[in-house]
This record gives sequence, C-alpha cells and structure tokens, in this order.
Amino acid sequence: MFQSEMLRLFGGRQVQVYRAGTGPTIVWLHGPHGVRKNDPVIAELAKRHSVVAPVAPGFNDVDELDDIRDVHDLALHYDDVFEALDLDRISLVGQSFGAMIAAELAAHVPKRVERLVLISPFGLWRDDHPVADLFARPYATIDRILWKTGEPSAIMADPANFPNDPVEKAITIVQAMTSVAKFIWPIPDKGLRRRLHRVTAKTLIVFGADDAFVPAIYADEFAAAIPGARKAVIADAAHMVAYEKTSEVMELIEQQLGEKTRAA
Amino acid sequence: MKFHWFHLMPYPYLPADFKERYPSVWVDPPAAELYDPVKGHQVYNDYLDQLEFAEQAGYDGICVNEHHQNGYGLMPSPNLMAAALARRTSRAKLIVLGNSVALYDPPTRVAEEMAMIDVISGGRLVAGFPVGTPMDTAYCYGANPATLREKYREGVELIVRAWKERRPFTFNGKYTQLRYVNPWPTPIQTPRPPVWIPGGGSVEQWEWCINNDFVYAYLTYFGYMAGTAVIDGFWETVERLGAEPNPYRVAFLQFVGVAENDAEAEKLYAEPAQYFYNRCFHLHPGFVGPPGYASVATIRKGVRSQVRDSAAQVQGKLLSWKEILDRGCVVAGSPATVVDRLNDMADRMKVGHLMLLMHYGNMSHETTLYNTTRFARDVMPKLRHRFNEWEDKWWPKQTLADIRRPAPIGIAAE
Repeated sequence: MFQSEMLRLFGGRQVQVYRAGTGPTIVWLHGPHGVRKNDPVIAELAKRHSVVAPVAPGFNDVDELDDIRDVHDLALHYDDVFEALDLDRISLVGQSFGAMIAAELAAHVPKRVERLVLISPFGLWRDDHPVADLFARPYATIDRILWKTGEPSAIMADPANFPNDPVEKAITIVQAMTSVAKFIWPIPDKGLRRRLHRVTAKTLIVFGADDAFVPAIYADEFAAAIPGARKAVIADAAHMVAYEKTSEVMELIEQQLGEKTRAA
Repeated sequence: MKFHWFHLMPYPYLPADFKERYPSVWVDPPAAELYDPVKGHQVYNDYLDQLEFAEQAGYDGICVNEHHQNGYGLMPSPNLMAAALARRTSRAKLIVLGNSVALYDPPTRVAEEMAMIDVISGGRLVAGFPVGTPMDTAYCYGANPATLREKYREGVELIVRAWKERRPFTFNGKYTQLRYVNPWPTPIQTPRPPVWIPGGGSVEQWEWCINNDFVYAYLTYFGYMAGTAVIDGFWETVERLGAEPNPYRVAFLQFVGVAENDAEAEKLYAEPAQYFYNRCFHLHPGFVGPPGYASVATIRKGVRSQVRDSAAQVQGKLLSWKEILDRGCVVAGSPATVVDRLNDMADRMKVGHLMLLMHYGNMSHETTLYNTTRFARDVMPKLRHRFNEWEDKWWPKQTLADIRRPAPIGIAAE
C-alpha cells in the first residue's frame, strides 16, 4: 500500500524510501522492525501528511554498513538522504532505533530539523537504570520486553511481512538486528548526551510508562538534555507505544507539528 | 596422522545442580560464588602436568586455547599457558589455538607474544587464530558482532604481515592504524609459524584458509559423525579452488576414552563426559547468536553455528552416557573399538591432524593419565601410518635441534 522508490545519493549509495499520503511532509524513521507492509503508524500519519520513510542502512543489505562505521557516519548518511530528497527544515518523527537516529541527526545538523518527535528513543545511559540488553535474548523472545502484553500486535506479527522461505526470513531479521547492534553495541551510549545541547528543533519526547527495554525515566534524561524539549509518558504502554497507543501518539504528534501544519 | 593432546581446562567443581541454579556457564556465572582460587591452584598445576605428560607419552602437539568468563575453560590467556609449557617441554609442538585476534588492540601484541613463545620454545609454535565464540567476543569482551569478523581478518593479516616483512612498515587499516609496525622478537620459523584457524563452521573461513595456506581446525563437541557435513563443505571448497586435497589441511577435535573394555570405559568416562555436556556446556541461549556474528552467507548456506547448535542440543536436557556414545560425541571403549571408530573417521573426513580431548569435565588426574597412556600405547601406533603418503606442510619444520632444557641453576655455597 505504500509506494517505494530507490533514491541514489550523491555519494553513490542507494536508499529505499517509502512514501504514503498527501499533505505537509513528515519524515518517519522506523525502529528495529523496519517498515512493515501495513505499518499502522505510517498509515495513520498518511491520513494527514505526505509521509517519507527511508529504510535504515543495513536493513535491506548489511553490506550497506561497510562505510557507515559509527553514529557520526550514520547521521551524515541521513543528512545526505534529505539533501537528495530536497527536504530542509523537516518535521522528523523517529521510533526506537529511528528515534536515536533522529536525535543524532538533529544534534549533528541542527538546521535540517525543525520539529522533532522522539518516540521511545535510546542513546543515553544511566548506571542506576540500565537499558535492557536486547541482544542477550533469543530473537523469538524479544517481543516480551518490547510490548506491554508481551506479544506483538496482529498487524506487526502478520506473516505477510516476511519472506515465505524461513532462511530468507531469518536473514531479514538478522540484517535488521545487525544494523541496530552495529550502532549500540554493547551499550547504547555513543556520546549523544554530549551533543544534544546542539538540537534547535522544537522537540517532544514520548515514552510508554511501562517500557521494559528503555525505562521511561529516560524521558526525563532526553527532555533535560535537549533545550526546550517537552515530554509525554503514556500509561499502560511499553517500548512499542507508537503501535500500542497509536491514536494518543498521533494526537501528540499533531499537536507538536500543528503550528507548522496549519501554516502549510 | 598426527595426534595432539588438547586441554580445555574446565573448572571441575561446579555444583551438581548447576544447571538448575544458574542460567549459563558462560559470561555471567558469578565467579566469586562459584570459583575457588585455592582449588584452582591445584587444578591449573594438574592440568599443566597433564600437558607435559602428553609430550612424554608421545603426542605430537599439545594444545591450549582461549576463553573468557566461564567455568568451561580456564584459559583467558593461552599464551601464559604456552609460555609455561615452552619452558617445561622440548619436543612437542605448542599449538596455541587461540588468540582471538579481534580482541587485541593493537593485534601486533599477538604477533609479539606468539613470537616470544616460538623463540623460547625453539621454534615449536603453531599459531592459531579463532574468531572466538560469541560469548567470549561479543558478550565478555564487548566486541561489536557486526564488525567482529572484518576486524578479525584485518588483525590476522596484520600479524602475518608483521612476521613476514623484513623491514618496518606502516599499517593504515580500518580497525588498526600503526605508523610503525616492527615487532620484536621475530619468530624462529620463517617466513612465519604455521597458522591454524579454529572454526565452528562459517563458510567464508574455508576459502580464506585455503587461499592463505592456513589449516582449518574444526572444533565441535559433537563428534565426527555430526562434523562430517562441515568437513565435506571444506573439501568441496578445496576441490573448487583446485587446491591440493592434502589431509593435513584439516584438524579435527574428538573426545576419546580408552579402556580395557566398554564396561570400564563407562566406569571411567561416563561421569566426566556428563559433567562436560550437562554443566560445562550449559549455555544461556541469549548468548549464542548475537546479530552479525554469523554472516549472511553462512546463514544462507544453512550451516548452523556450532555454538547455537550445541546449545540447542543440550539445552534443558540431561544427556545420558548412552546418548553421548550414540551421537558420537565421545569415542570410547576398548583400544580395538577406538581404533575402528577413528579409522572410520579418517576414512570419512580425511583429517590429518587429530586433536584429542583426553581430559573432559571433572575427570580425575589419574584417569586422565591412564587415558593418555592407553591411547598412546594401544591406539596411536595403529593409526600412525594413516596419510603417510602426504607431506604435512602445516607443521613446524625449523625446530632447533638443540633445545635448551630448563634446569635450575644452583647457588654455589660461599
């Protein structure tokens, strides 16, 4: 249901970009699940926006990570993507891993990002509230800490999201997880705290109150580190809050982007 | 055929209910709670005695390896063990089947230490470079699994080059940058010691070993019947690349227990084997498959990771002695039985280097020496001729004729 195109960057890299909906442009940076065929959050955003959702490097092919060695390379890669898309002063919404990337981009290239919504971001660390080790559990069990109910929603669990062949399915998952691991192993703290003061975007932090992966106390950490940021902690939701409480999260996003949306 | 005596150096005092009480033998079993260093003193010294004894018994090589934060193998530094053995032995080759190169910054540290071992031992080093298990690398040492293999390859290339180049050079790598590479000492063996690559079944290792003239050492704890598929894959690669199908390109690890008869074998070896499989190999499944550790090519080829497979095989089960024998994990019985089985292995796998685990689990010192002796006396001579028609090109050849034997220097009384 989403359109997809291959975008060629000036450096020669290729990036898959999904598009959906019409209206003011909003950029969606996906989490560790990638962009699923019927992604319900993108579908909701598309009702009022023209959604642009680039696929993170490595998710389609881990070899894409060869020359993206650290979070700095990663942030600049996204700057290249938006340059190629001719998107300035963007409204940027990221979820989980995508929220970490969004925060890095907004810190590395502040002028590129005007509005910022970070949903369940990681990238900071507190010894007294450690982020759980997502990689020290079999993949089959990670939903237990990502979702409030311990199970993914029906749409996200839809087998149609994956190749039929079990080996190719395993490879799809491994490539996604490898791409995330590359930038947060062994601890998701790569210096973002030292950079967040650079963010000039109007920023909203959203957490699920019962996030067992990245404890909701990190909402305070992000809000304190980003100048003028607001936070919203949603009850009865976990790391997948965007998927668990989609309408509430949509409302927050619309509020955050409202001024700009009306102007457009 | 050559015979090498391989020690894992497990901790032999894990509690009987270890599997119920602790989620994993590796990475996070609390050391202060489980490890007694006073007992450890005896254990290390017994183990080193056993390796020295293996030289006297006639084994060609003695093997040590590297593991971290576990009750399964107590050699975080195999180089320390090899250094101790270099002083106390004079004939057996020292097969150091680890340094996990990606864990050392800069990797030239490995080139230096291994050259020290080669020089002290009079040219007896076999240099092993494993990637390292997921537990050791990604979890214990925090190595990024997404870049581990590439970093490892670059490190091995740097080490080999550091040994071969005859003058200082500059190395501008992706993971290591050194303005001046010039390690002292240089090894006795020129252009370099033989390099063995311990592997668990990653397909890209085969081609790399063949192209670089490295031995592929397949380490599995599930015996030769289960290991055949991987070894077949290696020989197919040899054929595809047009390399010489020389059996000495391959080393294979096998648990063995030699006794008078089957009943005595069970009496001597069942408990240590069960200790190994049921306690030493009790792995938390979350520590066996970090993303990126297995390459996409390996996954696509359908070669499952050794560690993951092993964990799946023993997780939540208690293996009986019969199951251990039936699966071929341990080859045990009378000398005739063991000779038959190992001949079958040699026929099927064409492995010139047989690495033997003669001590496992909580086997006693006496039983270990007995097993070691009986194998050397009753089995080795019957297999020795295998593959004599081939030249072993991956074995130390420049060992000094006049090895300095350690002898205490007396202090003259004034």
